[in-house]
Amino acid sequence: MTLTSKPLAAIVLTILFGGILFTTAMGWWQTESTKEAATYTEGEFAGQANPADIRGSYTFGDVEKNFGIPSAVLAQAFGVADADPAAFPVKNLETIYAESEFEIGTASVRLFVAFYKNLPIDLTTDTYLLESAVELLKARNLTPEQLAYLENHTAPSPTAGSSAPQPESTPAAESPSEPVPTAESTHTTEESERTVKGKTTFGEILSWGVSQETIEAIIGGPLPAPSVTPKDYCTEKGLSFEEIKVKLQAEVDQAQ
Amino acid sequence: MVTIFGKKIRFFRPRSIWLRKVVQLFFFAFIALIAVNHTLVEAGGGIPFLSTASLHALCPFGGVVTIYQYATVGTFVQKIHESAFILMILGFLLAILFGPVFCGWVCPLGTVQEWVSQLGQKLFRRRFNHFVPEKLDQVLRYLRYAVLAWVLYMTAATGTLIFAEYDPYFALFNFWSSEVAVTGLVILGVTLLLSLFVERPWCKYACPYGALLGLSNLFRVFSIRRNAATCKADGACNIMCPMNIPVDSQNTVRDHQCISCLECTSEAVCPVAKTVVFSTQAFKNDLKLQVVAKEGAK
Repeated sequence: MTLTSKPLAAIVLTILFGGILFTTAMGWWQTESTKEAATYTEGEFAGQANPADIRGSYTFGDVEKNFGIPSAVLAQAFGVADADPAAFPVKNLETIYAESEFEIGTASVRLFVAFYKNLPIDLTTDTYLLESAVELLKARNLTPEQLAYLENHTAPSPTAGSSAPQPESTPAAESPSEPVPTAESTHTTEESERTVKGKTTFGEILSWGVSQETIEAIIGGPLPAPSVTPKDYCTEKGLSFEEIKVKLQAEVDQAQ
Repeated sequence: MVTIFGKKIRFFRPRSIWLRKVVQLFFFAFIALIAVNHTLVEAGGGIPFLSTASLHALCPFGGVVTIYQYATVGTFVQKIHESAFILMILGFLLAILFGPVFCGWVCPLGTVQEWVSQLGQKLFRRRFNHFVPEKLDQVLRYLRYAVLAWVLYMTAATGTLIFAEYDPYFALFNFWSSEVAVTGLVILGVTLLLSLFVERPWCKYACPYGALLGLSNLFRVFSIRRNAATCKADGACNIMCPMNIPVDSQNTVRDHQCISCLECTSEAVCPVAKTVVFSTQAFKNDLKLQVVAKEGAK
């Protein structure tokens, strides 16, 4: 059997697009991940969506679906002036507040959602919120502990980047203490930095020079598969990711 | 078509497979539009009725690099989704049937290299695609297997899409976004620059997906086959081959670099009808020769 260009072209197109159509009909063709936050596995809030699982790829609309906080409220809290706040990706906060003296990003959204819904979240690390977000939260019933945390973690005058929605900004001052980077980022160059983030895998941490024994001592158990992220591991085991992350970061810094 | 010394010769033959150019242009535009749409959607806009998938979701090589994680943990590498896995399977199906037809007909990075190479052909004429010394070229052709091994190992070890930082294909369709690493842009620039001197430099020397698909040339159902009885051995097929394969010295092309572009066939550059074809069976005289060779060996 001999083929010329015309039947070959027809077969190639048929196999590729036919395959896509078939798998779409079967429900197998997925081009993006499901945006469903993991739930608390134990305790008073078991079964409820866990704000610690909010990813940078979530939009405000995804946060709204998972936690019931209107996108407009999130937009107001984080000074986003988009016409369609539901479509605003959480990871973009890092870009628009790139020059801010305090890091405003995915971790800030997690903190805001947790306080807004009165859900537990780790407060041992420094995560900052904009004044606008703090004002909204203060209108709700916060615990004294939450109020105290906000007192020390409010970004007084966010120094937004050029594309930031806030017209008012003050010149960036030297930060007296660098906030622990916690937000996820999809920026490829940033990913290459040795910072333990939500997307960082155990494999990466190993490749950064932290020994298996050290990691196992920190997580309190055998090392899972290299492709597993500490975040997913902590969620599964009911551990505090923020706490584990700080310890892992310290080891990474030491190994450098 | 006229017959000279018993051989059918076409005086007015197409120099190239025009339909391949159309298919290549189609896939280039298709992927480019989806990449732009993905950016527009992230910015709150978007083109209606067009996929908003990320480039990672539409790259069959993404399926390849996630095989290990899928087999061991049951999940995909970050940014890779089911679609990439499905495209990988479709790519393998095409390769088993036709060899690396994905490279020659579909891959937009290969298409762009060919476009740049057209300028190189005009600039350097016969010297084009012959700048690299043959011995060095033969060694460099195996470099892409090292790249493939490195990418597979690193992806398995870290669980991240490590190749995205170096991938010129990703850089080509995302050069406007902040997701592209500088290394990817540099490799893309170098690839395009080299395309002025060498046809498909990325495919020949570095593409890990091309390396994998190239293995299918050893067992593909349809192969480029030459009828030695009617071949004029004028070297036209060799000159036309973008991958510098000496077609006129082989009865069945099993070279791991063939991209099934059909440019060497009698449908395109070969002046003798039914002499270089894309078929499932070898020519009868070739089969006879094989039988004789086997008997001789006994």
